Amino acid sequence: MKMFTRHVAKQLSAYLHGELSKEKARRTGEHLLRCERCRREYDDIKLGAQLAERLPLAQAPAEMWSEIESLLDAQSRERVYESPARRFDLSRRWYLVAAASAALVFIIIFGARLFRNVEPTPKNEIAQHEPTQRGESSSREKTMRASWEVESLAGKIRVGGETLSGTGRLAVGDSLETENASRAKIKVANIGEVELEPNSRVRLIETTQIEHRLALDRGTMRAKINAPPRLFFVNTPSAEAIDLGCAYTLEVDDTGRSFLHVTAGWVMLARDGREAYVPIGAMCETRPSTGPGTPYFDDAPRRLRESLSRFDFEYGGDDALQEVLRYARPRDSFTLWHLLQRVNEVERNFVLDRMIALVGLPEGVTRDGVLNLDPQMLELWKDELDTVWF
Amino acid sequence: MNERESEADVLEACRQGDRAAFHLLYESHKDRVYSIALHFGGDPSMARDVTQQVFLKLFTTIGQFRHDSEFTTWLYRITANACIDEQRKRKRFVPFSPALEVSQMAAKGSQEERYDRKQMADAVRAAIAELSPKLRLPILLKYVEGLSYEEIAEALGCSVGTVSSRLNRGHKMLARKLSHLRGQFAAGE
Repeated sequence: MKMFTRHVAKQLSAYLHGELSKEKARRTGEHLLRCERCRREYDDIKLGAQLAERLPLAQAPAEMWSEIESLLDAQSRERVYESPARRFDLSRRWYLVAAASAALVFIIIFGARLFRNVEPTPKNEIAQHEPTQRGESSSREKTMRASWEVESLAGKIRVGGETLSGTGRLAVGDSLETENASRAKIKVANIGEVELEPNSRVRLIETTQIEHRLALDRGTMRAKINAPPRLFFVNTPSAEAIDLGCAYTLEVDDTGRSFLHVTAGWVMLARDGREAYVPIGAMCETRPSTGPGTPYFDDAPRRLRESLSRFDFEYGGDDALQEVLRYARPRDSFTLWHLLQRVNEVERNFVLDRMIALVGLPEGVTRDGVLNLDPQMLELWKDELDTVWF
Repeated sequence: MNERESEADVLEACRQGDRAAFHLLYESHKDRVYSIALHFGGDPSMARDVTQQVFLKLFTTIGQFRHDSEFTTWLYRITANACIDEQRKRKRFVPFSPALEVSQMAAKGSQEERYDRKQMADAVRAAIAELSPKLRLPILLKYVEGLSYEEIAEALGCSVGTVSSRLNRGHKMLARKLSHLRGQFAAGE
């Protein structure tokens, strides 16, 4: 084992690309002089790199810019009723302030009817968010706040205290509620959409360039977001769901428990420093008393799921943990990987032994490193395991 | 004015909605974005869709770019996500097509040399297409765009160690798949 750790196979690409520190590069070079095995590895790495360098650069089709321009124009036309407040934000110059003020007076005079057609942009959203929950709001107040387009998909919905059967706007601070047989769709700024199932209630907390945030008080929502990670957030009574580029279903019951099921990409659940990374095909329960439980794949054995729930939320202790380990399949190393970071030192040995039995320990990951929760090793192991998980 | 200042000016103009600045930005990056998408998916129509999505996304969300990372890192994060999303949408991986036309094939040299280069490029593209997406993307970001390990890590949302490990595995798999070409490099090609 000691001999093995002296080999430098893992860092040969970084050595070749000059990505190692001077000292590491010196040690690697010296090792290569002595070690035939690593020299053979280095020859392979060099050949792979030489081959990859032959990858040709392709030329984008010449007509593509005009196609993109057409699509940009189409988007611009959709926003033909551009908010004067946007112009206010785009420049700090005094004459634009005056122009924006005049436009605001215009909007107030001609009422909310015109403004209902306005697609707010991130620029105007940032200046106008109001993060606190409010009660009923007047049309005039709504024109002052950023809002998202909402649409009733079935039946009547309530938006900001008003009943709606077609389309409308959900302003920051307002709520949207569905009844027994009604459903709604919310356009999340320009980054995606949320569908709200019957008997659900959401509130728009914030919408800015850097953060779009809903609160799901009860019911079920389906989100489909196409945006950089950490731009869309959903508060629930028991955790915060952070979009990492994904689609998912989130459900909150009357006791404040929530259930997350991810159908594309990854979602992170977090509360009070407790985190769960939930990928496509996985689920996670959260409870107000505990926060996020341990995530598991939706095809995990029933006994594993029941034991995991007892371990996470009902003080199931060692018995529940042993049951989880007993019923775990190789794919459930995903759940065990999360458990490593949630159990005490004694239990961590049990979890690690079971993981090794199920999927083995890859090159570059040591038992001691895992037991000490070395972040790089855990990340490397997670990386190696994704062929087992997906 | 240095290159960095110039790019900052173009980006600022883009934030203000300046279409000419968008065009400039597009011209600077279009071939590399298209190449990554093409080599990732192996299909020109997918590459075209991905490139359009990337630049539309870029232009509509440029206000969210916060200068706390390099612009290219942000651009290639969008590109990587778009490649993965498009592949998921199409459900299955579009098989490598040997008929792809790429600019380097029109490079100078004798007909025989051009043929050899094309053969080599086709073999490399086919081998890269067979890598898993997680190994393919770091290879493309390294060899098409020339990003550093740190930039690749930021673009893919993983650690530098992970990038290093994936490139290592990618290189070794390429060498294994194309070991019959070793002689050409040993001969000083």
